[in-house]
Amino acid sequence: MANHISSAYDRDLEAIQTLVVKMGGMVEGAILLASQSLETRDVELAEKVRADDKKIDALELQINEEAARVIALRAPVSKDLRSILTVLRIAASLERIGDYAKNMAKRTGTLVDMPAIAGSDAALRRMAREVSLMLKDMLDAYLRGDAVLAEDVRQRDQEVDQMYNALFREFLTFMMEDPRNITACMHLHFMAKNVERMGDLVTNMAEQVIYQVTGEMPEEARPKGDKTSYMTEL
Amino acid sequence: MKDTNMQNPKISAKNVQVYYGDNHAIKDVNVEIADKTVTAFIGPSGCGKSTFLRCLNRMNDTIDICRVTGEIKIDNEDIYDAKVDPVQLRAKVGMVFQKPNPFPKSIYDNVAYGPKIHGLARNKAELDEIVEKALRKAALWNEAKDRLNSPGTGLSGGQQQRLCIARAIATAPEVLLMDEPCSALDPIATAQVEELIDELRQSYSVVIVTHSMQQAARVSQKTAFFHLGNLVEYDDTTKIFTNPDDPRTESYISGRIG
Amino acid sequence: MTHKSLLVADARTKKRNAAERRFKAYGLTAIVVAILALIMLLVSVFGTGASSFRQTYATVTVPLPEDKLDKSGVRDIDVMKKVTTIGYTKLLNEGFENVVIASGIPTELSRKDIGGMLSKEAAATIRDHILANSELVGTEATLDLLMNGRIDGYFKGRVTMESAALDSNTSPEELALAQALKDAGIVHTKFNWAFLTNPDASDQRPEAAGLGVAILGSLYMMIVVLVTSLPIAVAASIYLEEFAPKNRWTDLIEVNISNLAAVPSIVYGILGLAIFINFLELNQSSPLVGGLVLSLMTLPRIIIPARAALKSVPPSIRDAALGVGASKMQSVFHHVLPLAAPGILTGVIIGLGQALGETAPLLLIGMVAFVREYPAAYTPDAGLFGEASTALPVQVYNWTQRADPGFVERASGAIITLLIFLLVMNAVAIFLRRKFERRW
Repeated sequence: MANHISSAYDRDLEAIQTLVVKMGGMVEGAILLASQSLETRDVELAEKVRADDKKIDALELQINEEAARVIALRAPVSKDLRSILTVLRIAASLERIGDYAKNMAKRTGTLVDMPAIAGSDAALRRMAREVSLMLKDMLDAYLRGDAVLAEDVRQRDQEVDQMYNALFREFLTFMMEDPRNITACMHLHFMAKNVERMGDLVTNMAEQVIYQVTGEMPEEARPKGDKTSYMTEL
Repeated sequence: MKDTNMQNPKISAKNVQVYYGDNHAIKDVNVEIADKTVTAFIGPSGCGKSTFLRCLNRMNDTIDICRVTGEIKIDNEDIYDAKVDPVQLRAKVGMVFQKPNPFPKSIYDNVAYGPKIHGLARNKAELDEIVEKALRKAALWNEAKDRLNSPGTGLSGGQQQRLCIARAIATAPEVLLMDEPCSALDPIATAQVEELIDELRQSYSVVIVTHSMQQAARVSQKTAFFHLGNLVEYDDTTKIFTNPDDPRTESYISGRIG
Repeated sequence: MTHKSLLVADARTKKRNAAERRFKAYGLTAIVVAILALIMLLVSVFGTGASSFRQTYATVTVPLPEDKLDKSGVRDIDVMKKVTTIGYTKLLNEGFENVVIASGIPTELSRKDIGGMLSKEAAATIRDHILANSELVGTEATLDLLMNGRIDGYFKGRVTMESAALDSNTSPEELALAQALKDAGIVHTKFNWAFLTNPDASDQRPEAAGLGVAILGSLYMMIVVLVTSLPIAVAASIYLEEFAPKNRWTDLIEVNISNLAAVPSIVYGILGLAIFINFLELNQSSPLVGGLVLSLMTLPRIIIPARAALKSVPPSIRDAALGVGASKMQSVFHHVLPLAAPGILTGVIIGLGQALGETAPLLLIGMVAFVREYPAAYTPDAGLFGEASTALPVQVYNWTQRADPGFVERASGAIITLLIFLLVMNAVAIFLRRKFERRW
C-alpha cells in the first residue's frame, strides 16, 4: 500500500503498530513465564509475572489513547479505519490474556504448598507454549498483513482445545481417585481453562487481522474443540 | 466493477463520452442513479465528476467546444434527443452551484423567478405560496420570512446557498444536481445544508459532487469515484468508505499517494 | 545561526525602500505636472473666455418718426420691411448723439463717429424690435443696444488708448467718451445671454456672435448619435459577447472593432462624405449627416466598453439563470444586461462626450459653413435635422481663424461652454454608475 500524503499520519499508524507488537511480546513472555513458574514452583518468577501485568495494562491504555487521537485527528477510512479498529480489539484481547497469565501466576503461589499432580504441569506448559506460538504467529500475521497465516492460527486453536479436553478428563480422574487432590486439581483446572481462553482470544485477534487485511470477517464457523461443556462422564 | 443495475433507475447513463475539443474528459461512463437517494460523485480535481454532472442537465451545451456522445436517460427519455429542449430539461433537473449565486434581487424575486418564467403560478397568491413552500423546504423560511424584499445577496453564505436551493426547488424539479454546494461555506452552514440535503432525499433524486469525502460519507447512500475521466467504482457509500474494491478508490479516500 | 536584529534595516531592505520611495516620487511628479498643465489650460481658457459671458450695452432712446419708417401710416409689415438697416442706422446715430448731448458730456466727435460706437448689429436689433412692435412708430423707443467690439474690448482691457490710436476702427476720443458714458450710467456691462442664443455673426461684429446655432446643431447631432449608435452598439455587443460562436470569424470581427476604434476620426469624415452626401445625397452641413458620421465613429468606442461591461458580469449569474431553466435570451435580458447597464451607460456617455468634441470629420462634411441665421429647418415641418448647421467644436475652430481679436475671446468662451457640456455629461455618467451599480 502506498504511503499517505501526510507522512505524519503514516508515522502515527506505525507508532501504534509498534506499541501493539511490543505489548504482544510482553504478553507472550507473560504466558511462558507463568507456565514456567508453575512447573518450577518458582514463586519469585510468578511474582514477576504479576508485577509485569501492570506494565501491560499501562501499554493498553497508551494504545487506546493513541488510537483515539488518530481517529479524532485523521478521521481514518477504509483500510486505515479497519487497522485502527483492529488495534483497539487486539489491545483489549492482549490485556485480557495478560490478566489470565497474572491469574495463573497467583494460583502458582497457592499451588506451591500442595502436592504435585503428576504430568499436569508439563501438559499445561505444552498448552501454554502452543498458545504463545499462536500469539507469536498472530503478531507476525498482523505485522505483515498476512491473512493466510492468520487463518492458520485460527485453525490451530482446535489443538489447544483438544489439549484442554484431555487435561479436563485427567483432572476428573485425579479428583475421583483421591479427594485430597481436589483443591490442587481445581486450581490447575482453572489455569488450564485460562490457557484455553487465551487461545480463544488469540483466535479472535487472528480473525481481526483477517478483517483488517480483507475487509471482511471470516464467515465460516470457527472450528471448536472445547467439548467439555457437553461432558457428563469419563 | 460490481454490477449496479437497478430496477427503476431515475437516471441511466450508457457509454457516455465527453470531449472538450481534443481532450477526452469523460471516458465511457455507465451509471444508474436511483430515485429518492443521494448519490455522491467524488474524485480528485479534473477527474470529470463536475463535467459529468453538468451533462445531466445539459449545462455543457453552453460550452462551444464540448461534445457529448452516448446515452443519458431520465425516466427512460434520452435527454440528448434532438426533440428535447434543454430549457425544459433544466426545469426538471435543477442545479445548485459551487459558489452561492443568488441573483442581485430580493429574496422573494430570487425564488419566484423560476416559477414566473415557467408559468407555474396563475396569480400572485399562487406565486406567494410556491415561494413560501420552497423557502420552507430549503429551511430558510423562518430566517427569511420577515425580509423577503431585502436583497438575496445580503444573506450569509450558508443562507445564500439555501436560497439557491430554494430557487432550484421552486421550479418543481425531480432531480437536483449540486456542484460542490458547501465548498464555500463554514462548517456550521455546511452542516445545515447537509441536513437539508438529507431532507430533500424524501422528494428528489439528489446528485452531489463534493471534494469532501466526509461529506459524501455523511449525506449520500451511493458513491461514485471518478478518476482521470473514468468511473472507477460505484457502490453503496458504506462499502466505498469501509472496504472499496478498487485500489485507486482506496488510495484516494484514505489520502494516499495513488 | 546568527540572529539579525529587526531594528536595524539591512542593505537589501534599504535599497528596496529607496527604490520604492523613488517610484512614489516619480508618480507624484507626473501627477503634479498633469495638474499644472490642467491649471494652465483652465487659466488660459477662462482668462480669455470668461469675459465673453459679459457684454457692453448702451441704453439709447431712438426717435421713430412715422415719415421715415411708415409713410403710408397703415402699419403694413411688408411695406415697413422696405426700410433697411441703413435707414435705421441714421435714426440710431441721431438718438445716440441726443443721449450724449443730454448727458452733458462734452465731445468733439461727429454724429457718425458717435453712432459708430454702437455695434453694426444695433440697427438690426432695433429694426427687428420695430417690426415686432409696429405701434411704436411715431413715438420713441428706449433699448439696450450692443456697443461695438472695440468699446467692449476697452472695458474688458483688450483695447487700450495706445492701441486705439493706431486702430482705424476706433479712436482714443471714442474710448474717452465711452468711459464718460459709463460713469454716467448710460453704458453698462451685463450678462451676455445673447452669447448662448445668437447665431454666428460676420467678421466685423464679434460682439454679436453667439453659439445658439452651434449648441442646437451639437444637440441634434447628439440625438442622432444616441438614437443610432446606442441600440446598434448594445445589440452588437450582446450578440458578440453572449450568442456568437467563438470562431475565426468572430475573432476577425473583434479585431476589426478594436481597429476601427483607433482609426483617425477624419477618415470617418471622408467615409461620410462618400456615403451620406455623394451617394445618399443628404444635405451637407446638416446635423443628420454630422450625427451619422459621428455615430460611425462612436460605434466601436461604445461596443468595446459595452462588451467589457457584459464580460465583467460573473458567469455564475448566467449559470444561475440557465440552471433554473431560463433560456439564453431570458438569462441575458433578465439578469446579465441589468448588471452590465451601468458600465454600458458609462461607455455610451463617454462615447457621446468624444463625439461632442469631435471636429475633424465635421469639417469634411461641410459643417464648417458660416451659418448666419437660425436654419428655417429648425421647425418640425422642415425636417428638423436636414438643414445646414454648425457644431460647438467647429465653431471654435471657425472663430480662431477670424481676424478680429474679439473672436479670440469668443472662441475661448465657446471652449468653456463645450467643457461645461462635457463636465455635465461625465457627471451624469458617474451619477448613473453610482445609482445602478450593484454588488453581487
